[in-house]
Amino acid sequence: MGRFLIRRLIHMFAVLVAVLIIVSLLLRLIPGDPVDAMMAGNPGMSQENMDAVREQLGLTDPMYVQVMSYSLDLLRGDMGESLRFRSPVFPLIMEKLPATIELTVFAMIMAILIAIPLGMITALQRDRPADYLGSIVAVIGISIPSFLLGILLILVFAVEWRIFPAAGYGGSLTGSIRHLVTTGDPSPLGTSLRYLFLPGITLGVAAAAYNARMVRSAMIEVLGQDYIRAAEAKGLPRRTVVLRHTLRNALIPVITILGLQIGYLLSGAFVVENVFAWPGIGRFSVQALSWRDYPTIQGIVMITALIFLTINLLVDVLYAMLDPRIRIG
Amino acid sequence: MSNAQIAQPAAGVTSPQHRTGVRRLLRELFRSTKGMTGAILVGLAILAAITAPVVAPHSPTKTSVRAKFAEPVFIDRSSDFLLGGDNLGRDTFSRILYGARASLAIGFLVTLVASVIGSFLGAVAGFRGGIVDTLIMRAVDLQLSMPFILLAMIVLAVLGPGFWSVAIALTLALWVNYARLVRGETLRIREMEYVVSARAIGLADQRILTRHILPNMLHSILVLATLDMAFVIIFEASLTFLGLGIQPPTPTWGFMLSEGRNYLSESPWMTVFPATAVILTVVGINLLGDWLRDTFDPSLRTR
Repeated sequence: MGRFLIRRLIHMFAVLVAVLIIVSLLLRLIPGDPVDAMMAGNPGMSQENMDAVREQLGLTDPMYVQVMSYSLDLLRGDMGESLRFRSPVFPLIMEKLPATIELTVFAMIMAILIAIPLGMITALQRDRPADYLGSIVAVIGISIPSFLLGILLILVFAVEWRIFPAAGYGGSLTGSIRHLVTTGDPSPLGTSLRYLFLPGITLGVAAAAYNARMVRSAMIEVLGQDYIRAAEAKGLPRRTVVLRHTLRNALIPVITILGLQIGYLLSGAFVVENVFAWPGIGRFSVQALSWRDYPTIQGIVMITALIFLTINLLVDVLYAMLDPRIRIG
Repeated sequence: MSNAQIAQPAAGVTSPQHRTGVRRLLRELFRSTKGMTGAILVGLAILAAITAPVVAPHSPTKTSVRAKFAEPVFIDRSSDFLLGGDNLGRDTFSRILYGARASLAIGFLVTLVASVIGSFLGAVAGFRGGIVDTLIMRAVDLQLSMPFILLAMIVLAVLGPGFWSVAIALTLALWVNYARLVRGETLRIREMEYVVSARAIGLADQRILTRHILPNMLHSILVLATLDMAFVIIFEASLTFLGLGIQPPTPTWGFMLSEGRNYLSESPWMTVFPATAVILTVVGINLLGDWLRDTFDPSLRTR
């Protein structure tokens, strides 16, 4: 296990370095530099001023010097200054990150909570009406773009029925849980959940539908195995056979894709945040792109890649613990 | 016993007689509810895209003050606009027909280019091995370490928004699927007896690859490409919705939805109809892809 972990960590580091280099190089190919973007707001800026600012920001250095100095700063935890806010990038991103993590985790939990029962029922009811209905729902769930689902949910639950707010953020979820624990007052938690619900569902539905199909086919495969027949033959209750012998084994392939799925959910969060005006890094990055705020974009890409790689590493470790055969490979 | 084994073709090898012919495939299609539903939905979208100039009652881009927020025919019988007018008085129905063009064009283009490039690189990686393999697979790892949307946004920022930028971003995101699939299959097939014997009789590598290895994975590639096309259409619409994709005045479903969002309560038809178009098209493609997978590889049947 130790060597497996070390090899994976080295690999992860190499990938991060490559991401860093490629992203820095690509971002400098963007037409128009940040000084042009600044000038758009200050028509009075003279050519000399612009050159001075470029010099000051290090934009006149050769590309490799810019990339090198950025990397060295990064090792010290310094991601540079946002060109827009004139303040360090790292705290800016960290300020927005919790909202994105809350949204993604909530969506993931939704995806699992919907997928397992749906997959189980459709597998056990194979080729009966419940199975057909579940499968139709799953295909639609996979086919509906998240932004579109978001709009439709807003139309129904916020515009027509006014049950949930149409957009916005109801305060930090972890903060409100802490508030509940320390003061016993549940109202902030209620508010943040009310705001979280529609974007969370929107983001989670596609993953839920996909997982439900996976659980279904994995369950069907496991149900056909000899050891299930043996378990039934020795008279174990149906419940035990389904939950302990079948579901547990059927979940292994699902766990392996959860890592990749976090990537999809993060991608999806970037879109969903813009639909629901959710103040996370997804919305922030679309704004940063329009401001041509290189250091911020670069910071967001690096942090997202780091999170994504860490999750994948954790999933691999989890998988290796569940299935010892993997460690050898 | 040994005779029986020889008579059995090895798993995964399709001799010409066993290859599913187009006619047999069509016969299977007519028998499957899922396949037919998918084919009809996709057929409708293709039909809309092709016949848009003939069928569309109005110009998709012509604005008119009179038709601003015009109600659809089923609300106002005298309305001239089947599915209503939008905020600039353009005909929703005509725009949906034309919108099919952008979605399908990018869907076909991206999956075609990504699958050709990806399959080629995957085959070379698997067949050659060594440093070529390492380089290609490291590129794959790198791409997979970035959530797609970040890649897309960087590409869109560098190239500026537009049809071709979206196409390039999505191609960059998808080629890895084919590279991984084809590399794995190539590694497996490369060691099979018929390939070993093809090499033994002195066939060139290139010929072995194009004549003996790639044709055996066409089915898997086709299934993947169909399902990817659904992904492409969803993401083009998403990026266009965010204002990063195809730019107006080109009529696109994504842009119609981003405009419709501002008039949800007053003119819901601006949202509901393009939404239906996107959903039905993507559902159709997914059903067709699922059906293809079930047909080509019954062991993966998921329904």
